[in-house]
Amino acid sequence: MIEVKNLEYLYGPGTAFETKALDNINLTINDGEFIAIIGHTGSGKSTFIQHLNGLLKAHSGQILYNGKNIYDEDYDITAHRCKVGLVFQYPEYQLFETDVLTDVGFGPKNQGLSKEEIEKVSIKALEDVGMDEKYYKKSPFMLSGGQKKRAAIAGILAMNPEVLILDEPTAGLDPKGRDRILEKVSELHKERGITVIWVSHSMDDVARFAERIIVMNEGKVAYDGEPKEVFKNYIELEKMGLSAPQVTYILNDLKNKGFDVDDSLIDVEEVADEIYKCLI
Amino acid sequence: MKDITIGQYYPADSILHRLDPRVKLFGTLIMLISLFVSNNFLNYILITVVLITLIKLSKVPFKMLMRGLKGIIIILLISVIFTMFLTPGSTLIKVGFIKITRYGLKKACYLAIRLVYLVISTSIMTLTTTPNDLADGLEKSFSLLSKVGVPVHEMAMMMSIALRFIPILMEETEKITMAQKARGARFDDGNIIKKAKSMVPILVPLFMSAIRRALDLADAMEARCYNGGKGRTKMKPLKYSKKDYSAYVLILVYFVAIIALSFIIGRTEELEILMVRR
Amino acid sequence: MDFVKHIIESKNLVHKYVSYDENDKKETTIALDNINITVNEGDFVAILGRNGSGKSTFAKHINALLSPDEGTLFIDSMDATENKNRIPIRRTAGMVFQNPDNQIIAQIVEEDVGFGPENIGIETDEIWRRVDKALEAVGMTMYRKNSPNRLSGGQKQRVAIAGVMAMEPKCIVLDEPTAMLDPIGRREVIKTVHELNKEKGITIILITHHMDETIDADKIFVCDKGKIALSGTPREVFSNVEQIEGFGLEVPVATKLAYLLREKGIDIPKDIISREELVDFVVSRGGNRNDRS
Repeated sequence: MIEVKNLEYLYGPGTAFETKALDNINLTINDGEFIAIIGHTGSGKSTFIQHLNGLLKAHSGQILYNGKNIYDEDYDITAHRCKVGLVFQYPEYQLFETDVLTDVGFGPKNQGLSKEEIEKVSIKALEDVGMDEKYYKKSPFMLSGGQKKRAAIAGILAMNPEVLILDEPTAGLDPKGRDRILEKVSELHKERGITVIWVSHSMDDVARFAERIIVMNEGKVAYDGEPKEVFKNYIELEKMGLSAPQVTYILNDLKNKGFDVDDSLIDVEEVADEIYKCLI
Repeated sequence: MKDITIGQYYPADSILHRLDPRVKLFGTLIMLISLFVSNNFLNYILITVVLITLIKLSKVPFKMLMRGLKGIIIILLISVIFTMFLTPGSTLIKVGFIKITRYGLKKACYLAIRLVYLVISTSIMTLTTTPNDLADGLEKSFSLLSKVGVPVHEMAMMMSIALRFIPILMEETEKITMAQKARGARFDDGNIIKKAKSMVPILVPLFMSAIRRALDLADAMEARCYNGGKGRTKMKPLKYSKKDYSAYVLILVYFVAIIALSFIIGRTEELEILMVRR
Repeated sequence: MDFVKHIIESKNLVHKYVSYDENDKKETTIALDNINITVNEGDFVAILGRNGSGKSTFAKHINALLSPDEGTLFIDSMDATENKNRIPIRRTAGMVFQNPDNQIIAQIVEEDVGFGPENIGIETDEIWRRVDKALEAVGMTMYRKNSPNRLSGGQKQRVAIAGVMAMEPKCIVLDEPTAMLDPIGRREVIKTVHELNKEKGITIILITHHMDETIDADKIFVCDKGKIALSGTPREVFSNVEQIEGFGLEVPVATKLAYLLREKGIDIPKDIISREELVDFVVSRGGNRNDRS
């Protein structure tokens, strides 16, 4: 469980440009949740997730991980980063070894595992992300965009994290590549009970996978709740430079035309059923 | 990190800022020559007066100029000490086998002044000239060299592209460091070899990214019809104005004065030294 | 009679990449396999396809950054296989790339926009006129003195577009210009491109894998494994829901819903692509029966 209390982070503190990147954030993330964090560029979402695994340190406020304050002097922050794994947006930022398998083993190596263990957990992680064995000995730089992303996620999974944070894992991927990654992550969440925190720009993706959505705007939490609840505020979301899933607009149009439809549905199949009811 | 300025340009509106970069380059060159031909007290007084005037004119805070000196302090100390101890001449002070000669002391003083003034005068130029202007100025000033096959335009282009990408790569370094820290990498402990090894996970991605950017950029430049310096025109061509010509005249007057002083006074000092040695 | 000018005309265009594996064995990958594409002057054309489908390779051909291994390609009646046409082709068909950072050369916005005209030897006064016009066209005039490092992704891409506009091209090829942008940046760029097409009559070739950016195009080509797998108006192309999804792409949500409704036995047109069309259809068919207000 992660508890965030009165978290505040400043950009350019003490200068004329001082702005609050995070402004009094309070929330609790429970074990086993699948959370999406959305917000436009500069809303503070990337800054926020970098706090969760201790890469950035807040100017005030606390983060408690399983009840322990991660800012305490005797708290092992490097170990914390392995428990709360963060995958950056560009896999190019982390891939550096001569082959994929060794690269994935970098995290476990830092954790001090033995050679055999490193190989074991690395292979397990690569299997978890659905990476074919023929790529294990390939250079990570020769992979396609989608495969690089898998290798990067495997590099974090190999550290056996309790929480997996993904910063826009689908940026730059085509629809098929995007779906494959999201389905893999969803599988990990379901089968291993891993907590997933996922930063995204795409409302349609979020609507399909997340159980809870946190909307950030100007460094604050604007909405926090189930997707259906959050998307009801689609007019306010638009004012924040966001939008609702496409189907929400269609259902609302129908509702405005006098149809009795449930405008909180977000699954395309369910929406088709709902419209079907109007047509028979 | 985004605001880092290489060549440490200090934005202000002064006569020095407005001068054509070629004038400033020429002026700096003359200043350097004058520092090395100067061999007497009067010369240094003249140079000091000129530098103080330039600093005043540039509107650059004195503190900014001093910052440049920090970098050379060790070199300065070493060369001054060596000069002081290893120059022959009539002994002034003697402690054990170490002796300081009168001439050595003098030479060391001149050397210190030369180095400090050298840094100050080049700093005045870089602080009052944007990197782009500097590149333009260099390209134009050395354009004659391109006739004998020196790729002057290409070098200037490389310089301005480097300046454009340095902040981007700095930011990227920061992000890569974070990404590796997120994988449990430690950068702060261990001996030098261990530390150097721990840089590999940062340097490799950074290097790969720089290569990728370079390839992309080459495509983008080609796509916009870049074909080297031949037949290229300038959006902001360098043009001399009246003040630039006046500046050239002043620089020349200064140079003549320096040369004259060092010939007249310098000669007599040299004779003096020769006499002492005998 | 053919009154419309073809700005791009490719016949059986083939492009091969040659690479060597660890054992120095030569491997040839066919990136473009007999591409036949004709683009009319003034059209807005979208090329859709997965990563690695060959669409970027084709883009580089239009700009003479690559040249055909087989077949022919004419850009504004200039033969792309001839070396001497390289620069004239690049002046006619400008190109905007995916990564906004890696195509901005200068440290000040206006100087970057002037880079292209400088390269082709335009005189100073004319460069300034063109830079002013180009910045105006993409709505970036107020940022002209800024450093590109301080702009958002969408703004950087608009600067890149202005840089191409300043060369006064007839055609602009955009190779996944929105892949690295957030939704706001994407909207900015797509809006700008549409304006240039409508107001200045510039032919646009937009390469993307976001189907929502292609709905307003005059024509779509769908690339798959180096071939043109489908082509036509957005309506024609997207009505092939199963085929499009088979290519690893997606169709507009309204089209998908119409497809699902058809599967349930509703007689709904296959070529619905917009949310309004879907709503109108439901109103016209079911409106009377289910209207409970």
